[in-house]
Amino acid sequence: MPIPPGHQHPLTKMVAEINSIFAEVGFVFAEGPEVESEHYNFDRLNVPKDHPSRDMQDTFWFKDKDVSEPTVLRTQMSPVQARYMESHKDNLPLRMIAPGKVFRNEATDATHEAQFFQLEGLEVGEGVHLGHLKGTIEYFLDRFIDGDVDIRFRPGFFPFVEPGVEVDMKLLSGDSALVGKWIEIMGAGMVHPNVLRDSGIDSNQYSGYAFGVGIDRLAVMKYGINDVRDLYTGDLRFVTQF
Amino acid sequence: MKVSYDWLKEYYGESLPAVEEAANLLGKHAFEIEEVVISEQDPLMNIIDVDVLPNRSSDCLCHRGVARELSTITGVPLTHDPLVSKPELPATDAIAVAIEDTDACPRFTATLIEGIEVKESPEWLKTRLEAIGQRPINNIVDATNYVMFAIGQPIHAYDAELFPQVDGQWKFHVRYAQAGELVSLIPEGGKEEDRVVECVGTELLIVDGSSDTPIGLAGVKGGRFAGVHEGTTKVIIEAAHFHPIITRKTARRLGIVIDASKRFENEPSRELPLYAQADIIKLITDIAGGEAKGTVDVYPTPMEQTAVTVHKHKVNALLGLELSLQTMIDIVTRLGATVTEHDDSFVAVAPFERTDLNIEEDYIEEIGRLHGYGNVTAIQPAPQPLTELNQRHYYSELIRHTLTELGFSEVITSSFRKKDKVQLKNALATDKSYLRSTLSRNLAEVLDKNAGFNDLLGTPDTRVFEIGTVFYKDGEYVTEHVSVALGVRLKQSGYTGKEDRPCDEALSAISKALGASFPAVAEVGQKTVAEDGLPYTYQQGIAELNLTKLLEQLPAPTAYAPVPHTDAISYQPFSTFPFVTRDIALWTTEGTTAENVELVLNEHAGDLRIRTTLFDEFSKDGRTSFAFRLVFQAPDRTLTDDEVNQVMEKINAAVAALQWEVR
Repeated sequence: MPIPPGHQHPLTKMVAEINSIFAEVGFVFAEGPEVESEHYNFDRLNVPKDHPSRDMQDTFWFKDKDVSEPTVLRTQMSPVQARYMESHKDNLPLRMIAPGKVFRNEATDATHEAQFFQLEGLEVGEGVHLGHLKGTIEYFLDRFIDGDVDIRFRPGFFPFVEPGVEVDMKLLSGDSALVGKWIEIMGAGMVHPNVLRDSGIDSNQYSGYAFGVGIDRLAVMKYGINDVRDLYTGDLRFVTQF
Repeated sequence: MKVSYDWLKEYYGESLPAVEEAANLLGKHAFEIEEVVISEQDPLMNIIDVDVLPNRSSDCLCHRGVARELSTITGVPLTHDPLVSKPELPATDAIAVAIEDTDACPRFTATLIEGIEVKESPEWLKTRLEAIGQRPINNIVDATNYVMFAIGQPIHAYDAELFPQVDGQWKFHVRYAQAGELVSLIPEGGKEEDRVVECVGTELLIVDGSSDTPIGLAGVKGGRFAGVHEGTTKVIIEAAHFHPIITRKTARRLGIVIDASKRFENEPSRELPLYAQADIIKLITDIAGGEAKGTVDVYPTPMEQTAVTVHKHKVNALLGLELSLQTMIDIVTRLGATVTEHDDSFVAVAPFERTDLNIEEDYIEEIGRLHGYGNVTAIQPAPQPLTELNQRHYYSELIRHTLTELGFSEVITSSFRKKDKVQLKNALATDKSYLRSTLSRNLAEVLDKNAGFNDLLGTPDTRVFEIGTVFYKDGEYVTEHVSVALGVRLKQSGYTGKEDRPCDEALSAISKALGASFPAVAEVGQKTVAEDGLPYTYQQGIAELNLTKLLEQLPAPTAYAPVPHTDAISYQPFSTFPFVTRDIALWTTEGTTAENVELVLNEHAGDLRIRTTLFDEFSKDGRTSFAFRLVFQAPDRTLTDDEVNQVMEKINAAVAALQWEVR
């Protein structure tokens, strides 16, 4: 019996496609460690210690004896943004994406995993504004999701952006059960001046937008997956469908 | 936060938009709406459940705040605003307050009210509290709750006669706890016993100055000291401001999240306590009788709102709009800020309750959301050359393509393990408290789990791989690298030794695709290989190598391989029930192809069949024999032999009718 070809995991397939879509318009695929310092994961993102905004993300911490400074399993891909801004502050403008695995210390259910994949994106330059953010999200979703997509912004709060927005999307066609419904899909906004400043970027000259979306959430939209935990069980009955 | 529609009306007036419309306006311009509950029986119970954003938890965790927000959105002024005129309350020297650190407690107010009668609250008050899920207790306690949910200031009431006096004075002392000091708190969750907590020394305490006995943890939770009871006739009402971080630290450490601590943590305005006193004096004297005997107000350093300069060009530059200065000023004025206009900018001073408006960008957000984000025009990104390529992604994709061509499927497994090298400080569960130091053990489990699925999946053996991060200690500290592991399993019972060959082939294919060399599995046997800077391990049909290290010797890529858009895949939830296989071999008539046979089998096998695989074919004397394996599985139950036998009988009958002969 011949060996039939194997199947690539839907998450890495999506990451490759996401990268390909963004690479066309010059977004660099950046990366950083999963074991991240408190400094990059929180402080540099305008999330000060003991501030209520820390509650937005339940965090896994490393034992003090195992690390040289307070360290976490990264809770978001934003530290990669902070690192990238810092290393590229003298080479602006910049466009980057950071897809990768993140961790939250919370109970799991069909729509939440303690580990999941997140995509963040960032553009910094002169005259970058909310319209560019909207355009980039539209550009991406139009190519990534089959069928027509509408998006809208609502007020949102994320400490590293100001103004902050929640982005909802609506599938306009297709046979998915999600067609015609507004679905909250990502958080976004204009990079907070403190975050630019702490990365060595002059917020009077430059501005930027950032967005973050769960790739697991995109899998639900794109493939109709009903339980995100299936992505991490290593069950070939699941993987071989892709 | 549950918001009573009727309560909003008290401030907004009769022109308040209908429930659904009010919820829509809030959703579009301010906060996400969790739920709208419209009561058929009692309109007083209509509720909008508002998810107040963290930056507005300082002023909007109360009805006046949400009503004010609606008024800002619609431009209709509130008909009654409890925060509009600064209260003037007569002073008293019956109460003394001493504060150890006025940064930790910048303001402390207390009012004495005499001649009250503790009883049930009037119906309207009970209804309002019940509508938002609060249980009415008695008129005094309800009044403190009511004012908190009205304007956002937590309040506490003491029975003045149970509060010892010194030289005719009640003495409040606000000081830090001593390490080891014990504080008794009212228990939570209906428990009888007080909760006694031991302080570490960072907590702020409210103390009975007569005996230095702790009354409660400031801003977090109180004890039973001088509690209001049925016979209380004289009360002291406390409304103060405590430092949000001190409050939060103590509350977190003790795991206490109550309505009061939640509000203190979010830094409500320091101006609020006096307004709260004015409101509660009025409410208590209305519903419990009595008379206010004066208020003490210790507020050594009044807070001033920051004057913020907002530039027209900056607003438009960040929002991508072309608003006039006048439009911006109108919006900012609507939210209650005092505005001084200049040529191309204005200076704004926020109303005192808006402690969140401190920098220009804060005002830009207000202008953006109140003007409406729907007015922002999307600008598609212009193509731009890629300045850097991600080497790890490039080579990972190459490995993925190489391995899938050889029949390997990719998995992503958990980064957590029951036991390994690095343990987390705070784990989810005891069986997930360590991080994986290798992918091999996870792959072994994946192989165990999937080895029985070959018939179901139509594969002759099980082949999997994973590319992911592993964690371990390099010397003293935790480090990580990206690892690639691949595994093969021929039999469900375990490793047979025959897995070495496909593993070898896979490794050679990777080595060829990457242009890097490493020794073959067959030469390695079951041990760790670390020569040539290309360490990998091989055991029991699973090989693992350090991709991060491997990448060091690979050239930088010049372009990504094209990635096709994946066509719509309609994912089907898979059955987790056991499957059943049946083989059928038959001699067919001349000219019959495998496809002809498969069609007939599938047509008669029905919905329970999920796979048909040809596994043997040979010809003799002009006839051809085909052997197929049929796999049956139900989405909702374990199939019985009987069920499958019935299907096979149908197939046999259909085959016989075609003059094919079952062997």
